[in-house]
Amino acid sequence: MGSGLSLFLSNVSSCYGGRDLLKPCLGDLPENCVAMILKNLDPVEICKFSKLNKAFLSASFADFVWESKLAPGYKLILEKILGDFPQNLRKKYVFDFLTRINSFDHGTKKVWLDEQTGGLSLCIAAKGLLITGIDDRRYWNRIPTDESRFASVAYLRQIWWVEIDGEIDFPFPPGSYSVFFRLQLGKPGKRFGWRVCDTRQIHGWDIKPARFQVSTGDGQHSSSQCMLKEQGYWRYYHAGDFVVGKSKSSSTKLRFSMTQIDCTHTKGGLCLDHVIVYPSSCKDQLKQI
Amino acid sequence: MSSNMIMLKSSDGASFEIEEAAARKSKIIANMIEVECVDEDKAIPLQNVTGNILALVIEYCNKHIVDDDDDVATEEASEEEEEAKKKKVDDWEAEFMNSMSLETMFELLLAANYLNIKSLIDLVCQTIANNIKDKTPEEVRKIFSIENDFTPEEEEEIRKENAWAFG
Repeated sequence: MGSGLSLFLSNVSSCYGGRDLLKPCLGDLPENCVAMILKNLDPVEICKFSKLNKAFLSASFADFVWESKLAPGYKLILEKILGDFPQNLRKKYVFDFLTRINSFDHGTKKVWLDEQTGGLSLCIAAKGLLITGIDDRRYWNRIPTDESRFASVAYLRQIWWVEIDGEIDFPFPPGSYSVFFRLQLGKPGKRFGWRVCDTRQIHGWDIKPARFQVSTGDGQHSSSQCMLKEQGYWRYYHAGDFVVGKSKSSSTKLRFSMTQIDCTHTKGGLCLDHVIVYPSSCKDQLKQI
Repeated sequence: MSSNMIMLKSSDGASFEIEEAAARKSKIIANMIEVECVDEDKAIPLQNVTGNILALVIEYCNKHIVDDDDDVATEEASEEEEEAKKKKVDDWEAEFMNSMSLETMFELLLAANYLNIKSLIDLVCQTIANNIKDKTPEEVRKIFSIENDFTPEEEEEIRKENAWAFG
């Protein structure tokens, strides 16, 4: 217990200004106390205050501060991205790493944590989805475009049976998630360096709505339907939601789909970029991406 | 109920009597009791804590004796009861923290840290965090008179390191 004895007095003298030097101030607190204050702030704020003074800076590296910001299953997420990773990484660097957009599964998926809330988002490219008829160039084509974060999208010329399925087994941290399809009516292209959208092949979407479904391995199911209307703009179409409980075992099996299988008419002119799993609480931000 | 009373003595010589159950909120004092180095008629001297701060610490400990066996209680009590109880404690804590100056808060944190009272440390840290949260580092430095002990080079280094947090 003697270790704490000297902290109080030895720290009193480092402040300046006309205040009572026997009274402690924020700049006099020992590093462990500073770290415990930082633990109550969000990651962006922790970094903001790390430049206050040396005690704040070293406290901002404390593992327990960052451990509280990382989702409980963060090691499984690291494993998904990196395969193998060193066990003794500083938690701040782990957090830092996970807030960057990291690709995995041969570049067909991207995952990142929100640097403020720590919430996880996951993106699955068209290439990582099961699209009925994708191998037949009369129906679907893959076209390169810088309008996608995966640099490539799937474009539907025309087809009777539209079915896009996806499946992933991922250690989602506890929380509520929403699943969206990023779609555009019209074919993206460029003319003289300007973004243009070819809308000539769009047809069949104003007759019946498209149907979206989301289900999980533990029996959750949600669905929605929607007429695809807006032409020439990328939009996030809400497919459904799911919840990962606190006591959840390590991984969640997620399935989702988009279908328009009314075979009385053909559909075409649709572009599919990716499917995104996003924290439900922040889904308003999606419109800004 | 005849519970054991313990005497604590502050750095400025003030004596306080406190129930053992309340005093045990402090890991340091709990340890002293475990190894039986507490003499019944002698006060425990706390060289790092002044009387006015010790009074606050004791007020806090007395208020929190009941929820000492938190985990056991949660399983038995109904959810509503639990919630009402929690709200009462929260309200009391808010009031308790509201009533003190920032300076006192820092002294209380140092005392809680020295005495190792985890829940009190958490409470004070949360309050201080709420106080600085929406301010810029420059404002915090000014309000809390924190000396900038970095060289310009070091400052630049930190800025680079944390680029993601400011961009």
